[in-house]
Amino acid sequence: MEEFFQQLTNGLAVGGIYALIALGYTMVYGVLKLINFAHGDLFTYGAYLGLTLLTSLALTDRLGFAAGVLVLALMVMGLVAVLGALLERAAYRPLRQSPRLSAVVSALGASIFLQNTLMLIYGARFQVYPDNILPAATLNIFGLYLPLMRVLIVLASVLMMVALYLFIQKTKIGTAIRAAAIDQDAARLMGIDVNRVIMLVFLVGPALGGIAGLMVGLYYGQINFTMGWVYGMKAFTAAILGGIGNIPGAMVGGLLLGVIEALGAAYISLAWKDAIAFCVLILILIVRPTGLLGERVADKV
Amino acid sequence: MKQKLWVLAAALGLGIAAAAGAADTVKIGLMAPMTGSWASEGQGMKKIVELLAEQQNAKGGVLGKQIEVVTEDDGGDPRTASLAAQRLTTKGVAAVVGTYGSSVTEASQAIYDEAGIPQIANGSTAIRLTEKGLKHFFRTAPRDDEQGRMAAQTIDKLGFKKVAILHDSTSYAKGLADEANALMKKKGRDIVFFDALTPGERDYTTILTKLKGANPDVVLFTGYFPEAGLLLRQKKDMNWKVPFIGGDATNNADLVKIAGKEAADGYYFLSPPQPQDLDTADAKNFLADYQKKHNELPPSIWAVLAGDGFRAIVAGIAGAKSADGGQISGYLHKDLKNFSGLSGPISFDAKGDREGEVYRVYKVDGDGKFVLQKL
Repeated sequence: MEEFFQQLTNGLAVGGIYALIALGYTMVYGVLKLINFAHGDLFTYGAYLGLTLLTSLALTDRLGFAAGVLVLALMVMGLVAVLGALLERAAYRPLRQSPRLSAVVSALGASIFLQNTLMLIYGARFQVYPDNILPAATLNIFGLYLPLMRVLIVLASVLMMVALYLFIQKTKIGTAIRAAAIDQDAARLMGIDVNRVIMLVFLVGPALGGIAGLMVGLYYGQINFTMGWVYGMKAFTAAILGGIGNIPGAMVGGLLLGVIEALGAAYISLAWKDAIAFCVLILILIVRPTGLLGERVADKV
Repeated sequence: MKQKLWVLAAALGLGIAAAAGAADTVKIGLMAPMTGSWASEGQGMKKIVELLAEQQNAKGGVLGKQIEVVTEDDGGDPRTASLAAQRLTTKGVAAVVGTYGSSVTEASQAIYDEAGIPQIANGSTAIRLTEKGLKHFFRTAPRDDEQGRMAAQTIDKLGFKKVAILHDSTSYAKGLADEANALMKKKGRDIVFFDALTPGERDYTTILTKLKGANPDVVLFTGYFPEAGLLLRQKKDMNWKVPFIGGDATNNADLVKIAGKEAADGYYFLSPPQPQDLDTADAKNFLADYQKKHNELPPSIWAVLAGDGFRAIVAGIAGAKSADGGQISGYLHKDLKNFSGLSGPISFDAKGDREGEVYRVYKVDGDGKFVLQKL
């Protein structure tokens, strides 16, 4: 039983990261009906920018751990958000009126471009975060070993997801985003600047992806220019699982995927971990083609 | 460049001399990757073999003649290697040292064997190379399956009873895991866990939790260094103190960077010895000479094993009292026993594989240094 709860917390920690990245996929899909395949690479940029800023500015030395990491997180979110907006401007806006397939190809191209740029700048070897930054405390609760950082990561993810949910549901700008997601033309007729809404979506989504990258870098320590592929793939799956286009769905889907992976690996087979996760996805889609919380069906792509 | 021209001129001169029928040197071929991605290995091989030849010539050469090393570049590429092998066979070499990569060696094996020229490979560990029944092929490198044997033996010597084995489904890592698993089962070790992780991920706590549930005395991980580093780091975060043993794919300085010094402390891995850890008197003297001449240590153990190939050939020519390929091979197979090589005693079995152990056990210390263990 102890092992079961340990695996559950392992799954939640991984799932929290999936969920944060999944939010970026689902927000863009909700408004543009586009799968932003470059989103996983924006996540990688978060990890690399975090490393560069951390080592070059020595933030945690100057400001202490908590304030240093907080400032670092804000800087990474800001920079990756700008990168996301540039991506939208360069790769997607010119194709707004084109067939949807063109935008998907453009997304794949952007992904390859971003990934290889990173490799050319930082090199193909693994990069490593300095290992003395985070407090290495491990909590022991009823025999469960919970490294303090994992708890903080899950809490931070949940906090950001809740903040995003409130932003979308309760503010005027959030209402505009939801309106644009339902019908862009009608939203435009109601006086909403749809281009600005899309720009905003490309600021918020990548910012969340970037912070996920920073958390992965800080906690796991080792980063590499291809890591966005695996995480992007999983987060995309999580978004589908929860119902793509639906924000609470992405959160539930991410956490659920993490837990399914952990428990599948623990009680069925390690080597078949990914296969088990995808089988569950297929089963859920057979029963609920729109995903767990989804309302709209992805009819193309 | 000047030196190269000089060598070229000398080679041309010698070619003419040889054509005139005056074979007053014994030629030993060296096939090495002088260009391409393994060029640093090839250059180390050349420096070592040439220095050994120089020293042997100062002692009077072999069979009363001076030794001449003829080098051909295989570019680390099988196609270039077959051309290099054809060139060497027409140059009248008594035997050939080399080469590094298994696939490159494989492309040249048949050519030398057909010409009856003994070949001693130095870096090629693929099992199949010596399973073809070639009469003139030898290697100073260990075989891939020797590592499995060494893993089982090390776990035995360290006195661990319950063993968990983790691989990453690549052919190298799974092969090593299967080999070690079979050997340990035969010896009655309790294998409490055998499974694979997915390489390229970041979070391995699920696997570690499951491993911990199996309660092993030791974990044998046969994969590569990025995953090994993460496993060590996350194991430490779990406050789990079980020792880990890895294969030679974890012999990489980045391992300590990824895991952090504290988590890497106490990690064991198997690897052929690093040149500076060779402990025979011959090796120490030779490495001192090498350092004096080139102001650096050889790039890796594989270059040193090329030197051992060269020394075995010289011993073979001296022992057979002939520079004839068939006689040298016969001597190497049957009569060369426990010859003192730089990397330890050398004997060849009927297949041409090296007998005895080449793998050593290393342990990471508190400063992240790799320290050779005496077991």
